[in-house]
Amino acid sequence: MSILFVLIPLSLALMGVAVWALFWAIDSGQFDDLDAAGRSVTEDDDAESPRQAP
Amino acid sequence: MTATAAQRTTPFWTDESSGRTRAVFAAEGIRCAACSRSIENAVRALPGIERVDVNVATARVCVDWRAAETDLSRILSAVSAAGFKPVPLAGEASVEAFRRERRAALKRIGLAGLGMMQVMMYVFGVYFARPDAMDPAIASYLRNVGMLITTPVLLYSGAPFLLGALQNIRQRTLGMDVPVALALCLAYGASVFNTVRGEGQTYFDSVTMFIFFLSAGRYVEMVVRQRSLSISEAVSRSLPAFATRVKVDGSTERIPVAGILRGDRLSIPKGGVIPVDAALAEGSARVDESLVTGESTPVRRGAGESLLGGGLNVGGPIKVIARHDVTGSTLATIVSLLERAQSARPSIARAADRTANLFIAGILILASGVAFVWAMYDPSRAFPAALAVLVVTCPCALSLATPVAVAAASTRLAKLGLLVTRADALERLARIDTVLLDKTGTLTAGGLSILSTTLLGDVAKKEVLAVAAALERASSHPIAAAFESHADAAVVARDVSELEGRGMEGCVDEQIWRLGRFAFVAELFSPRVAASHGDGLYLGNARGLVALFELGEDIRPEALRAIEALRELGIEPVIASGDRAESVERTAAALGIALARARLDPTQKIELMREFQGQGRRTLALGDGVNDGPVLAAADVSCAMGQGSAIAQAAADLLLLNDNLDVIPRAVATARRMLVVIRQNMRWALVYNFAAVPLAAFDLVPPWLAAIGMSASSLVVVLNARRLANPRATA
Repeated sequence: MSILFVLIPLSLALMGVAVWALFWAIDSGQFDDLDAAGRSVTEDDDAESPRQAP
Repeated sequence: MTATAAQRTTPFWTDESSGRTRAVFAAEGIRCAACSRSIENAVRALPGIERVDVNVATARVCVDWRAAETDLSRILSAVSAAGFKPVPLAGEASVEAFRRERRAALKRIGLAGLGMMQVMMYVFGVYFARPDAMDPAIASYLRNVGMLITTPVLLYSGAPFLLGALQNIRQRTLGMDVPVALALCLAYGASVFNTVRGEGQTYFDSVTMFIFFLSAGRYVEMVVRQRSLSISEAVSRSLPAFATRVKVDGSTERIPVAGILRGDRLSIPKGGVIPVDAALAEGSARVDESLVTGESTPVRRGAGESLLGGGLNVGGPIKVIARHDVTGSTLATIVSLLERAQSARPSIARAADRTANLFIAGILILASGVAFVWAMYDPSRAFPAALAVLVVTCPCALSLATPVAVAAASTRLAKLGLLVTRADALERLARIDTVLLDKTGTLTAGGLSILSTTLLGDVAKKEVLAVAAALERASSHPIAAAFESHADAAVVARDVSELEGRGMEGCVDEQIWRLGRFAFVAELFSPRVAASHGDGLYLGNARGLVALFELGEDIRPEALRAIEALRELGIEPVIASGDRAESVERTAAALGIALARARLDPTQKIELMREFQGQGRRTLALGDGVNDGPVLAAADVSCAMGQGSAIAQAAADLLLLNDNLDVIPRAVATARRMLVVIRQNMRWALVYNFAAVPLAAFDLVPPWLAAIGMSASSLVVVLNARRLANPRATA
C-alpha cells in the first residue's frame, strides 16, 4: 500500500493542473458565450474588415 | 467598480417640482432576502431617504430621496459599506459586471467540483474498508489529504457563504447564509479536530459536496437574474449605437451615443434616428416621432425647435444641438419605467421573505434542540443529526418561489414584445375577465384604406385610382398610403405640390388635377360653388369632379384572432371609444364584439370601468392615446401600445412594444401559468421542508444526502419557473 504515498500526491498534482486549466479557460472567455461559436458558421462575414460592435 | 465610478454613470433623475431624486442601480452580491434588508437598513440610515426598494431576483436597488439632504455618492458608499458593489445599469459597465460575476462563480463551481470528486475518492476507502482492514497510518494519511483539498474549497468556493453570513451577523439579520455557513464551519471544524486527533468521523466529502451544489444552484439563479436584467437593455437598443459629432472646425467624428454631452453638435443623415432630445440647429426638418409620441404623421420643425430623442429624420440631412445626454432623454424614461418594475418586489414575494426569516430562526432553534436531545440519549449521533437539520432545510426554495417565476414570465413576455413595468402587474393580469379596448390605434392600425369609390364623371374607376395614387405618391400623409396599392407605373404626375391641410395638386396627361376637400378641388372649375358637401376626399380637374373617395381606418389584421383567443380564455372584450357611433359599430361588427360604446370621453370611460368593477369584474384596459392615461390608471391592469403617447405609457402596467394584439391573450395565458407555477413552487418548498426536517432530526439523513436534498429543492424551484420562459410550452 506504500504506493499510495506516491500516487495520491500525483493525483493532487493532476487536480492542480485541472484547476489551473479550468481557470485559464474561464479567464480567457471560453465560457462567456457558448452559442456564438455555433452561430458563427452561419454568419456571412468572410470580409477582411473588422466587425463593428452591435 | 468603485462607488465613484458607478456614480458617474448610474442613471438618476430629479423631479424638479418636489426636489425628489430617484436612482436605480444593480448591486453585485445580493443573494437573499436578508441581503436586501441589509442594503435597505444601510441606506435608510442616511438623512432624506424616502423609499428604498431592493429586488432580490434582479439584484436591483431603487432609491427615492430628497435631493437637498443627501446625494447619490453617499448612498452608493453606504451600499458599498454594507458589503455590496453598486453597478450602473446602462450599457457596457453592467455587461462587464455581469461577465465578471459569472466568471468568478464558474471558477468557484469548478474548484468545488474537482475538489469534491477527489475527496470522495479518498474517503471512499475509509468509509467502506472493514474496520480492521486499513492500516491506521493510511487512514490518517487519507484524512489529511481530504483536509488539504477541502481547505481551499471552503475558503475559495465557500467564501460567498461565509462572507454573507458574517455580514448578516454584523447587520443583526438572519439570512439564508447563516445556517449554511454554520453547517459548513461545524462540519469542517469537527472534521479537522478528528483528523488531528486521528480518530472519529470526518465530513470533508459532505463539505465539498454541499459547497458544490449550493454554488451550482446560485449560478442558475444568477443566470436567470441576468437574463431578466437584459430586457431593458433591449429597449435602449431602439437607439443607434453611434452618432456623428461635428467638431468646431467643421470636421466630423463618430462617437458612441453614450458619449454625447449636452451642447454637442450632431449631424443626422436622412433616415437616421435622433439619438437624444435635441434642438434643430438650422434650416427645417421633417421628423417622425411616432416611437415616442404615437403621432404617426411626420412633423415639420424649424430652426431652434426641439426634436425628441428616438425620432426618425425623414427629411434631408440635418444638424442638431443635443439638449441632454442619453440618460436624460425621453426614450430613457421608458427604460426607467421598466427599471421601476424590476426594482420593486411583488407583494407575494415580500410575504414569502418574511416567512423565510421566521423559518431560519426556527431552524437554528430546532437544530440546537435536536443536538441537545440526542446528547442525552446517544451523544455520538447528536452532531450528525444537528448538522443534517441545518443542511437539509431550505428556506431558499421558499423565498425564491415567487421571484424566479415572475422573472421567467417577464422574460418570456419581453420576447413577445410585452414589457412589464410594474412588479405585481402579472398577478393581476392573470385574474382579469374583461378587456376594455380603445378603438383608434388599438383595434385599428392608425392607417387608412379606401372604403368606397363613387364615380362622379365619365372616367373609369381604375384610371381614377391611378391618378389619385400618382398625385399622392410624393406625400407622406397617412392618406397617401391608402392609395399606394392602386399606383400604375404608366400614370405619372408632374409638378406635384402638397398644400398643407387642403390636398394635393399635380399635372397628369397635360391636365391639372386636385385631390382633397371639396372646396379645394372645386376651385379648379367653379370658384363660386358653396362648400356644402360631405367629408369625403374629392378628385377633380378643370372639367369638374371625377370621383369621391370614402376613407376608413384599417382594422389590425390580427385583431379578430386575438379577440377570439381572449374569448377562449373566458375574457369578454368590450369596445369603449371616443369615436363616432357608426365607425365604432362597423369595427365591433367586423370583430363580432357585442358590447361597444361610442362617443365616450375619458370620464365616461372611467365610469364604465367602475360599473364593471361594481359587478365584480376585473378589467384590463388597452389604449394608446394621451387621453387614455386616466383610464389606464383606473383599470385593474392597464396596457399601453408601444407606439402610443408617453403619458399613456407612464400610467400603464404593461407596455406592448410591437403593437401586435395577438400577444395579449398569450400574455394572459402566461400570467395564469405563472400563478400555477408559483403555487406549485410554494407547495413543493413547504412539503419538502416538512418531510425532510423530521427525517434529519431522527438522524435518518446522512449529511451528504442532506446537501443534495437542499440544493436539489432550490434547483427544482428555479427550473420549474424556467418552464415559463420556454416558448414551446405556450400554446
